[in-house]
Amino acid sequence: MTDPGWTHAAFAKPSDAQDALERLAEAGVAASEIEVRSSIPLGHEVCPVGPQVHSRVPLMAVLGGLMGGTIAILLVTLTSRAYPLPTGGMPIVPLPTAGVITFEGLALGAILCTVATVFFECRLPRLDVPAGPFDRMLADGSIVIAVRSDRVPSQWAAKATATAPTESQ
Amino acid sequence: MAAPANTAKEAALLRPITGVRPGLILGSLVTGALAGLLFFSWGYQIKNDIGVAGINRPVFWGFYITNFVFWIGISHAGTLISAILRVTSAEWRRPVTRCAEAITVFALTIGGLFPLIHLGRPWLFWFMIPFPNSRGLWPNFRSPLVWDMMAIGTYLTGSVLYLLLPLLPDMAILRDRAMAETPASLKARLFSFMALGWRGTTQQWHSLEAGIKVMAVIIIPVAVSVHTIVSWDFSMTLAPMWHSTIFGPYFVVGAIYSGIGVLMVAMYLLRRGLGLQEYLNDKVFNNLGLLFVAFTVIWTYFTAAEHITVWYGHEPSEMAVFWERVSGDYALVFWGMILVNTVIPLAVLSFRWGRKPFATAVVGFGVLIGMWIERFLIVVGTLRLPRMEFTVGTYSPSWVELGILVGSFGMFAMLYFLFVQFAPIVSLWEVREGDHIAGSAAASPEPVTEEAVR
Amino acid sequence: MTRWGMVIDTDRCTGCGACVVACAAENNIQTVGEEEAHNGRAMHWLRIERRYEGTFPDVKVRFTPVLCQHCAAAPCEPVCPVYATYRTPEGLNAMVYSRCIGTRYCANNCPYTVRVFNWHDGEWPEPLERQLNPDVSVRPAGVMEKCTFCVQRIQDAQDLAKDDDREIGDGDVQTACAQSCPARAIVFGDLGNPASEVVRLARSERSSQLLEDLGTHPSVFYLRGGE
Repeated sequence: MTDPGWTHAAFAKPSDAQDALERLAEAGVAASEIEVRSSIPLGHEVCPVGPQVHSRVPLMAVLGGLMGGTIAILLVTLTSRAYPLPTGGMPIVPLPTAGVITFEGLALGAILCTVATVFFECRLPRLDVPAGPFDRMLADGSIVIAVRSDRVPSQWAAKATATAPTESQ
Repeated sequence: MAAPANTAKEAALLRPITGVRPGLILGSLVTGALAGLLFFSWGYQIKNDIGVAGINRPVFWGFYITNFVFWIGISHAGTLISAILRVTSAEWRRPVTRCAEAITVFALTIGGLFPLIHLGRPWLFWFMIPFPNSRGLWPNFRSPLVWDMMAIGTYLTGSVLYLLLPLLPDMAILRDRAMAETPASLKARLFSFMALGWRGTTQQWHSLEAGIKVMAVIIIPVAVSVHTIVSWDFSMTLAPMWHSTIFGPYFVVGAIYSGIGVLMVAMYLLRRGLGLQEYLNDKVFNNLGLLFVAFTVIWTYFTAAEHITVWYGHEPSEMAVFWERVSGDYALVFWGMILVNTVIPLAVLSFRWGRKPFATAVVGFGVLIGMWIERFLIVVGTLRLPRMEFTVGTYSPSWVELGILVGSFGMFAMLYFLFVQFAPIVSLWEVREGDHIAGSAAASPEPVTEEAVR
Repeated sequence: MTRWGMVIDTDRCTGCGACVVACAAENNIQTVGEEEAHNGRAMHWLRIERRYEGTFPDVKVRFTPVLCQHCAAAPCEPVCPVYATYRTPEGLNAMVYSRCIGTRYCANNCPYTVRVFNWHDGEWPEPLERQLNPDVSVRPAGVMEKCTFCVQRIQDAQDLAKDDDREIGDGDVQTACAQSCPARAIVFGDLGNPASEVVRLARSERSSQLLEDLGTHPSVFYLRGGE
């Protein structure tokens, strides 16, 4: 079975792009064989028919926060007790001061985990990405759909402003 | 309707990046020279001991701590606009988010220098960093200065990432344009690198938007905590008129207030200098002006509350500081501050005609000066009059402190000039998205809200 | 438990300033010069506060030497980010010069304003460097300092006592200021020793402390009110 290669098409309007996606779905092309790219988020207007796209970011933010907060508490309590120096009649590990550091640790953990998750889910950084045929049009606002399947119907990109012939990736 | 984007409007935005503008280069050089003044003065101080500054006993903190609190305060501009307006889905934020976030990052960078500048032995600053060492010593987590370090470190990390995340799609736009037009140029390679391979797929957008939303929610309490902790540098002490419970919220409000002031000045200059009237339009200035008035009222309320309670309590060591401000040595600066922070903003911005770009920028500039004075009065005003009357003192800054003050503004401006030439100062994709939503709302018979589209 | 403390009798103090000079000599305190002193940078660890009491013709002058109070709940200690100042088990507020990075936060939080800062390196033109006390370090610019209750003398007395295998007796340790006072207004000793002179004087009905209501629990007692 030869590699069908990628077929690209650029659309001016989201409705046209969605139309093309529906035609692809009717022809039996799976969502995993389609890639939709745009310069603004259009997830709800233009999405391949298939399972919902999920993001783990909120969950990872919470987990990262808990991790960061725990590290902060341990940092404060263990280091203060390792070399206890009384200051100002205060306890060695006062609750309010430990609370401040824990809060910041929580926030830092959540921030770093959020960004790490975003990068992981987006598969970034990827500096070896080859340029696509319609990148310039994409930058000006077009929606680009790329399909890699041997079930692509002939008229799927009828409303496209430009198409590129089938080529190998 | 959606694409293609309004290329004529975007051309104005992209011109400073794709072209070479002598005005911007000259600006970068001049402000760069001022930034050099900061480092020259600082170098002079390191070589010739901290004594070249004007601080003494009892005024152990002077301009440097004033500047520190001032710059950290200004950094709250970005958080308010970017985060709070994102969380509340206010559409008018779109043209403003990036320039506000840039203000935050640069102001934090500069603000973060001042704790180093004011140290007696700055080369030992690393004693404050927690890491296992042969002495077995760790920093004192009970000290508000260590809380400062943790808070500002977290906020700086968060702000930089919060600026860079929404920058990725814009960098991708710049990359795709540059690759198509001048693929071998330095800028094309820079944009390719900065875009990190962003392709704009559905999955990527979903993830990025989730990330930005979560960051917006996290960064608001971080910002509140940062300036609260900075204010606790003062209120955790026993010094008269420092030991006040109101300082936490007071400083946060003051920070956001001064942040909006800087934002308005910056926006006006960008609008005039780069021809961005279509983006930074009258509506944005009007809304910011309204927000500004709200903060004028809140700031005035806190200031009044602080002073009335001190006056009513009539505690001698506090009253000495009170009278110094109200009728004593610092009366002129104190009432000048009330003029530019309360009277002028309320007089000008309460009316629609006052919320035009130029007027708002002038009021914003006045508030900058007023808020700097407020920090100065808090720091120096109290330290001059300690409890034991035999140690009262005076303070006058030396040329080193003045050079560093002027230099810090120069450095801020320089960073901004440079940023404007390498990244779109208005978030391209967010404005496009906003236009698309507005266009869909206009075209479809049923109301299309942002929620429905999302 | 040893707890160092001091009693200063302001009824006896004549304001002569010998204690200030002795302290400076004992502890290698730099002389900043007239101009710097005028700008509020004098480095005396001990200052004499002069107050006039009464109205003419019954005017009296009261001199109060103020030095580091070595508070049990010292406000200066918790604010130092690097532990350059803390409370020793013997009740001294210690100052660790080599750890100090010069944030000057401790000085801001001292309600007695007794801390002084080295704004510049000290200068001892020849042959004045020969007067430096070898038991005391010379502090560089950027470092905070204050009265240490002559910790080097305490250390010395403790070493001698250990050599002789005995406890430190009352009067074995004399701070420079106590030693030099011609009116014997300053008495230094162990507040933890019930038989010591400082405890006897601190319990007198003339005894009070500075800024008592702040709750700093100072180790210095001031006597006044007698004739």
